[in-house]
Amino acid sequence: MSELTFATIDQTVLDTLEPGGRRYWTLIAVLFGGVLLGAACWTYQIFVGVGVAGMNNPVAWGTYLINFVFWVGIAHSGTLISAILHLFRAGWRNPIARAAETMTVFAVCTAGLFPFIHLGRAWMVYYMLPLPNQRNLWPNFQSPLMFDVVAISTYLTVSSLFWYTGLLPDLAIVRDRATGFRRQVFSVLSLGWTGRFEHWRHYTRGYLFFAALATPLVISVHSVVSWDFALGVVPGWHTTIFAPYFVAGAIHSGLAMVLTLMIPLRRIFQFEKIITTHVLESVAKTIVFTGLIVGFAYGTEFFIAWYSHNPLEQYIFLYRPTGDFRVGFWIMVVCNTMIPLLFFFKPVRTSIPWLLGISICVNVGMWYERFVIIVTSVARDFIPYAWGLFTPSPVEFGIMIGSFSLFFFLFCLFVKHMPSVSMTEMKETLE
Amino acid sequence: MAAERRIMGLFSDPDQVVAAIADLRQGPWALRDVRGPIPHHGIAAALGLKKSRVGWYTLAGGIIGFFSGFALAAYCAGQWNLIVSGKPVVALVPFFIVGFEFTILFSVLGNVVGLLNEARLPDLGAVKPHEPPCTGDRYGLVAGCSHEAAAGLEAFFRSRGAAEVSVLA
Repeated sequence: MSELTFATIDQTVLDTLEPGGRRYWTLIAVLFGGVLLGAACWTYQIFVGVGVAGMNNPVAWGTYLINFVFWVGIAHSGTLISAILHLFRAGWRNPIARAAETMTVFAVCTAGLFPFIHLGRAWMVYYMLPLPNQRNLWPNFQSPLMFDVVAISTYLTVSSLFWYTGLLPDLAIVRDRATGFRRQVFSVLSLGWTGRFEHWRHYTRGYLFFAALATPLVISVHSVVSWDFALGVVPGWHTTIFAPYFVAGAIHSGLAMVLTLMIPLRRIFQFEKIITTHVLESVAKTIVFTGLIVGFAYGTEFFIAWYSHNPLEQYIFLYRPTGDFRVGFWIMVVCNTMIPLLFFFKPVRTSIPWLLGISICVNVGMWYERFVIIVTSVARDFIPYAWGLFTPSPVEFGIMIGSFSLFFFLFCLFVKHMPSVSMTEMKETLE
Repeated sequence: MAAERRIMGLFSDPDQVVAAIADLRQGPWALRDVRGPIPHHGIAAALGLKKSRVGWYTLAGGIIGFFSGFALAAYCAGQWNLIVSGKPVVALVPFFIVGFEFTILFSVLGNVVGLLNEARLPDLGAVKPHEPPCTGDRYGLVAGCSHEAAAGLEAFFRSRGAAEVSVLA
């Protein structure tokens, strides 16, 4: 860090905006192919009907809702890093804040597609909007699904505005070094920012309020997502622990995705002096913390099932580790709570291959956590006659590949066209 | 010809800017503007900048948001007017959640409006190609003076450690 100067920070970051080479555009093309695959599957589903997905009675919430919760969770660490750690004045968050915020915006966009996909008849989405209409149908705001519409829309708006506000001084830096059409574009995007202290006076205040408002929002959004389940009386869902459990899990998965994205970015763009091992190590330590909370939540669920003497709860928590979906359960437990404990050892959390490998394990584990929560509970609810199983169909796999491709496609486009590290915040770290 | 000459001294050290602001005010020149790549408490204090009023916009947005969200949920419930299990049509707890989300949303919108309004942004005309940018690694101190005093101002900037002096107008 001590070798850095304002000029070297600018130069290192601005070098990443040079036109991409053949390998970059090949990657973009492959990811775009994945997006087209997802779009084709969704189009097919719209024409044929939502029955082409593997969802059926009793498992009517399948991979679409799993992916929705997964991507909302991924979105959470961006706000944790940019807002909560900003309020705590944790300097190590500065090099990764921009990429994490970007991840948040794209993950919420990706998550936001899944309720539309899950609807089947996507054009009926206006039923959820409070629009005056001749049928006199109004949304019922007592439903957690309506809480979700409000919460996710708010989160997308707030995280996008927070991200753009943070970008303003950096867009001006790019503008001042650009020429021609590029300069014109960045002139408009930077809104005429010149670094006047009159601007900074309002900007620093506004940014502080952004962080202060985003902090309760990030906690409320995943709490609201958890209530989609917890307010139902389904065994395995109807529990008060869900809100903190989901929030901790969301941050756990989001931090893991930050590592998964930052490590290749650091290598490709030669950000080693900016995104130091200390930064990655700090993320790893936070993952240990969130992993312990998640592990505690898993244990508490089992304890409460035993302690409640409720046979339905006891059965579902016996079914999860031993039933049809036990492989998913054990992937969840091992990847989310055991493997991250390796970060207790300094050689592991300072080793780039270990950091990358464990972060991918946590991502996989967190996807399976949502699978286990959503599928197992409805597959085995009250009446044995209504029990059933769930297998995702090829259309669901196609849409899932499409969603992952869309996220990485947008992220890869961003890092080559906008500053992926906040130059301004890095300079503030040096001061 | 402009009635006033505007000259910018470019500094790499913000502490030099703080000292130069104090000295500039003692001289026959007028301090017009200070620019920099990052905020700096010393410079803000030397300029005597007051606390921004952006927070009032945020607060107003939050208050409007809470009541708008709660009112929207209550209005929609009122259109049904369907009592389920003896529960009230206007339910305080679930509608509080809608009110909370709207509080955050409108607070942030108020914050953005406040920021843009108070900082007078967007201001696309503010960026002048002939002016040296202060977004990278230098702090710019802009002062105005009469044509006769321009040479003295340039000398003043150089004496206070300016790496470069540029005539803006």
